[in-house]
Amino acid sequence: CFVVCLMCFTAVANNSYGQKFLEQQVTLKFKKQKLTDALDKISANNQVKFAYADNLLKPSFRVDLNVTNKSIKEVLDEVLTPFNLGYKIIDDVIVIGERPSDATSLNGTREDVKAVKVSGKVIDDTNLPLPGVSVKLKGTTLGTVTDVNGNFVLDLPTADGTLVFSFIGFATKEVPLNGQTTGVNVQLIPEQNALSEVVVVGYGTQRRVNLIGAVDQVTSKSIEGKPAVNLTQALQGTSPNLIIQQSSNEPGAYQTINIRGVGTFNETKPLLVIDGITSDDVGALNLLNPNDIESVSILKDAGSAAIYGSRSSNGVILVTTKKGSKNSAATLSYNGQAGIQVPHVGYKPVHSYENAILRNEAVVNAGLTPIYSPAQIRQFQQEGDHKWFLDEILQNAVQQNHNLSLSGGNATSSYLVSAGVLDQRNNLVGPNYGLRRYNYRMNLSSEFGKVKVNSILAYSRTEIKEHSFNTGTLIVDAGRTPTYYPIKDDQGNYLTNDVLAEFNPLGILEKGGYRKRDNDNVFGNLNAELNITKDFKIKGVFGGTLTANHLFGRVMQVNYLPKGSYGSDRNTTDDNEKTLFTNTQFLAQYTKTIAKKHNVDILVGVANESTTFQGNYLRLKFTDPELGTPITGTVIETSSTGTNSHTIERSLNSVFGRASYNYKNKYYGEADFRIDASSKFAKNNRNAFFPSLTAGYRLTEESFMQSYRDKFGDVKLRASYGILGNQSVPEYQFLDNYRVSGDYYSFNGQQVSIIDIKFANPDIRWERASTFNIGADLSFFKNSLTVSADYFNKITRDILLPPVVPGVWGATASDYNAGEVQNRGWEVNINYRLTTGAFNHSFAFNVGDNNNKVLKLEGGDQLRSYDEMQLLNKVGLPIGSYVALKRDGYFQNLDDITNGAKPAGLNVQPGDNRYVDVNGDGIIDENDKFVFSNGFPRLTFGFTYTLNVKNFDFNLFLQGVGKRNMFVRGEQVEPFHVNYSQVIYQHQLDYWTPQNPDARFPRLAASGSQSNENNFRRGSDMYLFDGKYLRVKNVQVGYTLPVSVSKKVGMRKARVYVTGQNVLTFSPMKFIDPESTELAGNVRANGANSARSYPLPVYYGFGIDLTL
Amino acid sequence: CKKLDLSPTDAFTNETYWTTPEKASVVLSRAYQQISSSGYFFSQEALSDNAYMGRGDAFNAASLAAGTYDQSLGRFKSEWFDHYAGIKTCNIFLENVDKVTSMDANLKARMKAEARFIRAWHYFLLETWWGDVPLVEKDLTINEAKVVTRTPKAQIIDFVLKELDAAATDLPVNTGLAEADRGRVTKGTAVALKARVLLYDSRWADVVTECEKLIGKTDFGTYGLFSSYEGLFLPQNEYNNEVMFDLEFVPPTVGTRSYTEFRDLAPLSVGGRLNAVAPTQELVDSYLMLNGKKPGESGSGYDENNPYVGRDPRLTNTVVYHQYQWKKPDNSIQTIYTKPGSDPDQEHHFDEYAPGAITSPTGYYTRKYYDPTSTPADFGSGLNLILIRYADVLLMYAEAKMELGQLDASVWDKTIKPIRARAGFSDAAALNFPASGAAELKEIVRNERRTEFAMEGLRIFDIRRWKIAEDVLNGWAHGAKFGAAGIDDGYIRANLRTFDPGKNYLWPVPRDERAINPNLTQNPGW
Repeated sequence: CFVVCLMCFTAVANNSYGQKFLEQQVTLKFKKQKLTDALDKISANNQVKFAYADNLLKPSFRVDLNVTNKSIKEVLDEVLTPFNLGYKIIDDVIVIGERPSDATSLNGTREDVKAVKVSGKVIDDTNLPLPGVSVKLKGTTLGTVTDVNGNFVLDLPTADGTLVFSFIGFATKEVPLNGQTTGVNVQLIPEQNALSEVVVVGYGTQRRVNLIGAVDQVTSKSIEGKPAVNLTQALQGTSPNLIIQQSSNEPGAYQTINIRGVGTFNETKPLLVIDGITSDDVGALNLLNPNDIESVSILKDAGSAAIYGSRSSNGVILVTTKKGSKNSAATLSYNGQAGIQVPHVGYKPVHSYENAILRNEAVVNAGLTPIYSPAQIRQFQQEGDHKWFLDEILQNAVQQNHNLSLSGGNATSSYLVSAGVLDQRNNLVGPNYGLRRYNYRMNLSSEFGKVKVNSILAYSRTEIKEHSFNTGTLIVDAGRTPTYYPIKDDQGNYLTNDVLAEFNPLGILEKGGYRKRDNDNVFGNLNAELNITKDFKIKGVFGGTLTANHLFGRVMQVNYLPKGSYGSDRNTTDDNEKTLFTNTQFLAQYTKTIAKKHNVDILVGVANESTTFQGNYLRLKFTDPELGTPITGTVIETSSTGTNSHTIERSLNSVFGRASYNYKNKYYGEADFRIDASSKFAKNNRNAFFPSLTAGYRLTEESFMQSYRDKFGDVKLRASYGILGNQSVPEYQFLDNYRVSGDYYSFNGQQVSIIDIKFANPDIRWERASTFNIGADLSFFKNSLTVSADYFNKITRDILLPPVVPGVWGATASDYNAGEVQNRGWEVNINYRLTTGAFNHSFAFNVGDNNNKVLKLEGGDQLRSYDEMQLLNKVGLPIGSYVALKRDGYFQNLDDITNGAKPAGLNVQPGDNRYVDVNGDGIIDENDKFVFSNGFPRLTFGFTYTLNVKNFDFNLFLQGVGKRNMFVRGEQVEPFHVNYSQVIYQHQLDYWTPQNPDARFPRLAASGSQSNENNFRRGSDMYLFDGKYLRVKNVQVGYTLPVSVSKKVGMRKARVYVTGQNVLTFSPMKFIDPESTELAGNVRANGANSARSYPLPVYYGFGIDLTL
Repeated sequence: CKKLDLSPTDAFTNETYWTTPEKASVVLSRAYQQISSSGYFFSQEALSDNAYMGRGDAFNAASLAAGTYDQSLGRFKSEWFDHYAGIKTCNIFLENVDKVTSMDANLKARMKAEARFIRAWHYFLLETWWGDVPLVEKDLTINEAKVVTRTPKAQIIDFVLKELDAAATDLPVNTGLAEADRGRVTKGTAVALKARVLLYDSRWADVVTECEKLIGKTDFGTYGLFSSYEGLFLPQNEYNNEVMFDLEFVPPTVGTRSYTEFRDLAPLSVGGRLNAVAPTQELVDSYLMLNGKKPGESGSGYDENNPYVGRDPRLTNTVVYHQYQWKKPDNSIQTIYTKPGSDPDQEHHFDEYAPGAITSPTGYYTRKYYDPTSTPADFGSGLNLILIRYADVLLMYAEAKMELGQLDASVWDKTIKPIRARAGFSDAAALNFPASGAAELKEIVRNERRTEFAMEGLRIFDIRRWKIAEDVLNGWAHGAKFGAAGIDDGYIRANLRTFDPGKNYLWPVPRDERAINPNLTQNPGW
C-alpha cells in the first residue's frame, strides 16, 4: 500500500487533467543524491506531488543529474529508468511504481507496435471526461492512462480480451472487447465505499477507515435536490441523534438543533464550524446556500470534539464548502427548483350552527342561560358557513431557488465561484411577504513554492418581509372565530365581531404595515500553509464573519367596521445590529510514518476568538401616516437607544492539540486537549482544561481474522473518553450590574429613570461533560453493507442554571453551577447498496435514542408552573418532566361523585374528569400529582431509499420520532377556551355524554364554571398527547437525459426531477403537526403548544440540474 | 484579538454605582415603580362582590373571586414575589445610600424615609393577604432566604407601624414638596397609611388617634375633599389636596409610563374593545336614593323598572348602566344601551347584554377613571391612580368612632356629611346624622365606604376584615335585570362563587415557595 508523502493528498479525485505539467521545463543539478531527495527537489520546484510505496525507493538509489531546461517528463524518465521504475499520473499526484517488465510503459512513453489499436473514452457519473484512468488488459501488464479529455488509445495483440478501467475513488469496471476497437466508451461510477471516504474532523481530515471518533458525515448527496430552504432543514433525519425540531415553519423562522438530546438545562446548541472558522451561533447554518455544501461532519463524542474544548459539550457541526479541483477544465452548472407550498392545518371548526348548538350546551351545562335562540341557530344553518378566518389568511405560496456555479483549476490553483438565490413566499396573505436569500461564494486555492494559500469569501443576504404583528396571535385568533362571521364586507371593509373584538387578522396582514429585514453576512477565511519539511508544516488562519442586520418596520393604521382599529400608534422602527467575529489560529503539524508501521500525527495550535456586538434602535410613534417620517406630535420612544446601551464583547483564548498514532492501521490511539480562557468568567475561574483519549482496533487487520475479512468484511472497534465544556451563558454574570431600566416611573407628570440590578454570581464557571463513547464499524459483502453502532454515556457536571430562588429573596439570580445530568443512549447507522440487473438500490437508515436523567441538583427539586402543567427537575428523572394529575375516567353518575375524590371546593357533575387520588384522602390536590415523561423526542430516525434505473432516479426520505409526549393546550383541547375562543373543533366532538362514557374529552362546560375548573384548569394527562410520527419528508423522481441527447444541446449533463416535501405523515396526533414542538431545543420554554405556530407547508415542485 | 477583561458599557457595578445623589435617586424611583401597577389596580375590584371578571383571568381575579383556586394559583407566587422585590430594592437603597458622601443630609434623610415607607407598604399588603410572612429587614443572601421563617402577623404590624412613625418624622408635609417632587410620599401619607394598617387590624382607638392628626390640622399636611367627586378622577385635577398617595403615570404622548386598562372597562360603543371587568348588580344596589334611603326601603321611591334615577350621584360617576348619558371628550352626550334589543342602532348594538358575548356579562360598564384625554384608539392614559385619599381618612375616622360607639352628629358632620355633600346629595335626610341604632349605623358607615370607593380596589380588603365574605362572595354574582324571568327575579346570573371561611380569609403560602423553603409553614385549611 502507498504511503503518501503529503498529508493533503486526498484519495477522492474529482476531475483530473493530462500531463501538462510534465511538459514544464526545469533546470536541475544533482550529484549522488538520494532518489527520494531528488524527487523532493523536483516536486518542490514545480509543486508536483509524488506518491510511492516506501519500500520501492530504496535508500541506496542515488542519482546524478545535470539538465537545463528539460521537461519534467524527460527528467523523470532519466532518473527513474535506471531503477526500473515508472510512473502514472492521478489527479495532481505522480504515483511511482515498478516499471512493467513488458515494454509498454504505464505512462505510454514508448511506442511499441502491436496488432490492434483500441480507443475509447472514459466519463464519470456526471458525464464529464475522466483523465488519468488506468486502462489495462486483464491478466497482462499492458495498459495506459486516459488523457485530459478522457480518451485513451491502447495497442493490443488482439481485440478479444477484457479491459479493466480503474481510478481511485471510482468503482473498477471490466469491459470485454469482443472485437470492438473503437468507441470503447466507459462510464465510471464513484465508489460509494464508505471506507475510502474522507471525513472532515476538527482541524483536519481522516479517511473513514482510520476514523476512531463518533463522527457522522453528511455529504452533498443527502442535501442536493431537497426543497429545503436552509441547511438545517436539509440535515433533518440524516444522522442519528441529530435532533432537529421546529416551532414555526414561517419563512425566516429557524429550527432548533440538538445532538444526542439535552445534556444541560442550559443552552443546548452545538458548536458550528464553517470551513475551519468557528461560528458565533449555530443559526449561521441557515445563511449558507445548501448547494455550496460539500460535507457536514457531526462530532458526537469526546474523542472527536474535545479539540473544541469549552464549546463542544453539545457536539460540534463542521461544515465544509465545495472547492474547485486543480487541473480541471472549467465547469458551469445550474440547479434550479420551483414549487408550491400548500399550508396544512389539521384542525377544522364544526359548522356554524353546530357550533352554536354546542356552545349553548356548554353554557347550559354551567347553569347559565343559552346564548343562541333556536331562531338564530336556524338562521346560521340557512346561511351556511362563512369562510373560516384561518382559511382567509392562508394561501398557497411559491418557493423557488436557482444556483449557478463555476469551478475549475490549473496545476497550482483551483477556484469555485457560486451564486444562488432562494425565494420563499409566505403562506400568510398580504403584500408579498416572504424571504429571499442571496448567496455568493468564492473559494480559491493557490500554491506558491512551499506555500499554499486558501481564500474563502462568502456573502449572504437575507431579505425578509413580514407583517407588522405577531404571527402566533394572528393564527390563533383567526382559528378561534366560528364561521358565523364574515371577515370582510362587499366594500372591502374589514369587519370585527364578538369574538375578536377590535381585531381583524386579515386587515393587519393586508394593510397594517410591515417589518422588512435585510441581513448581510460576510464570511472570510484566509489561510496560508507552509511545508517546512515533508513531515512538518505550519499554518496560519485568519477568518471571521461580519454580520449586519437591519430591520425597518412600519405600523399602519387600519380602521375596522363597525369599530376598532389597528396600529393607531403608527410606529416606525429602525433597528441596526452589527456583529464582528474574528478567529485567529496558528497551527503546526507533524506527520510521519516510521518503519512503515508507525504512523504518527501531531498537531498543536493556538487560537483567539473575539466577538463585538453593537446595536442601535430608533423607535418613533405617531409618525406620518403615509411616509412614516416624524411630524408634529411624533414621539421618540424611550426604547430608542444607542450603541453604548447595546454592546456585548467576548473573547476566548485557546491552546489545543492532538497526538495520534496508529500501528499498521490496526491499532489506533489518539489524545486531544484544549485549554480555554474565557472573558465570561472571573479571573480565578477563567481557565479550563478539556482532554480526551481515544482508542481504535481494526480487528480484521489481524492475520487470524483474515478469513473472516475475506468472507464478510471489515470490523473496527473504537472507544473514547474525555471532558467537554459549555460556556453558553450570558456575559458579565460574574459582576453585579446596575443598569438603567427600559421602564420608568414618573413624578409630577415627568418620566424618571429607574434602576435594574442584575445580581452577580462571582463564582460562575464552565460546565464540564465527561463523555464515554464506544462504537463499532462493520462492513459486509464487499462493503455493500456497512453498519455503525455507538453507545454513549455523558455526565454533565457543574451545569449552569438559573437557580430557583425563594420569592423572599426578591430578584432573579444569575446562573450558577449546580446540577449534574446524565445522558445515555445509542445510535445505529446502516447503509446498504444492492444491484439487481439495471436497478441500483441504496438504503440508508439511522436511528438513535437518548435517556436523560438528572443526577444532582443543588438546592433540591425544581418545580415550576408551565401553563396548566408543571415542569419538574428532580434527581432520578429526565430534565423537564411533566407533572400533573392523572385521569381516572369520568364521574359517570351521582354515586361516583358522592363517593369519589374531588378537588376541594369544586362541585363536579357527571361527565367531569375524575382524577386518581394517590394518597386516598378523598381530596384531589397537590399530593395527587404524577410525574410523566418529558416532551423531548426519543427514538429519532431517518430512512433514505435511492433507486437508479438507467436514466431514472428515485429518492424517498422518511423521518420521524418514535416516542414523544406532547403537551398541547388552549383551544386545541378546550372548546370555547376561557371565552377567548368561541369555537369547538371537529376533533373535540369526542366529548363525554351519557351515551359516550369513554370519550377522549370531558363534557362541555362553559369557562368559569366549577366543572370547567375541574376539567381544564387542573393540569392532567388529558393535555398530553402521543407525538410519535413517521413523515415522508421528501420524495424525488428524476430523469437524466442520455448523453447523446444532452450533448446535442451542448450540455454534459441534464437532469429534470419532481419533488415533494412533507407529503405524507403517519401519527396518532392528527390535529396539530406532531413535528411542531413546545420546546425551544432546550427545556427552558415557557408554554405549551397551542397551535399558534405557522402551519406546516406541504411542498410540490420540480427541478432542473444542468452541467455545461 | 480582544483582552479577556471585559465589562459592560451600559452598566455600573456595585462598587462603582453609589457615587451621586442622582444615582441614588434612580434606585429610589425603582422602589416607587414597584409599589403597584395599573394591572393590579384595575383588576382588584373583580376580587370582590363589586365586579366580575368575565373574560380571561388577569391577575387571577376571576379565580380568586370564584374561590376555585388552590395554592398553585399564579397570583400567589407573583404577588408574593412582587412585594419582596419591592422590599429588596428598599433594603438595597437603605444599606448603600450612605456610600454617597456628597449628599445633603436632609435629602438623604427624606429619601431614606421614602424607602422605609415603601417597604412598610409592602409588608402591610403581605400581612393583609397572608397573615404571617417572613420579615426581611436587610438584603438577604439566597441561602438565608431559603430558610427564613414566617414572622407572626402582629409582629409584622408592629414593624410597619414603627417604620411609618420613623418615616413620618423625616418626610416633608405635602405643602412642603417642591413641584417637581409631586407624587412622592409625605408625612401625611405615612400617617394615613398608618391609620389604614390600624383600621385593618380593628384597632379603633389608634385609628382615631392617627386620623385626628390629619383632620382639621396641618402639622402633618394640608388636606381636604376635592370639590367634585367626578373631577377627582380627571387628569386636570391631579395633585389636588385630597390625594394623599397615588401611582404616577404620564400620558402616552409624553412617555412610555402609561396604561390602557380602561380599554376593556369602557362601553364598546365609545371605543371599548371588550369587557374584562364588569360592575355587579350588587354594587349598583348599594347606591342610596337621593333621599338617603336604600333602594327598596319603604319611602325610598325606588322604581325597579327605572332603577337608575334618583340615585346617589356617585353611581353615575362610577358605573355605566342602561341609557347612561356618556359624556364624551368634546362634552357631547352619547346614550349607552345595554338592555338587549334596546339600541336604536340594531345593526351594531355594541353594548347590549348578550350571554357569552364580548359585551359586559352584567350589563354594566365602568366610568370612574375614564380619562377624556386618553388616546381614542386604546384609551392610553397617564392619569394617576389614587391609592389613599383624604375621604378615606374621614371614613376610617367615622368607622372607628362608630365601632367605639362614638359616632355622633359632630363626627358625622366632619366625615360622612361632607362626603355626601361633595357627592351631590342635597336632601337633608341624606346629609344629616341618622338617628339609628348601632347595627344600622354600622351598615350605613360600611355602605358609605363601598359606594365612595367603588372600583378603586379597596372593597376586597373591607370584605375580608369585616369577615362578610362568606355572605357576599358565596353564591351568584348578578347583573342587570336582563336575565331569564324565572331565575333570581330576572337578574342575570353572572358568576357562581364559593367562599370557605375556614381557609379563604388568608391566602395560602405559594406552593413553589414552600417547595424551596421547608421552614415556611402553611395557613390553616391549605
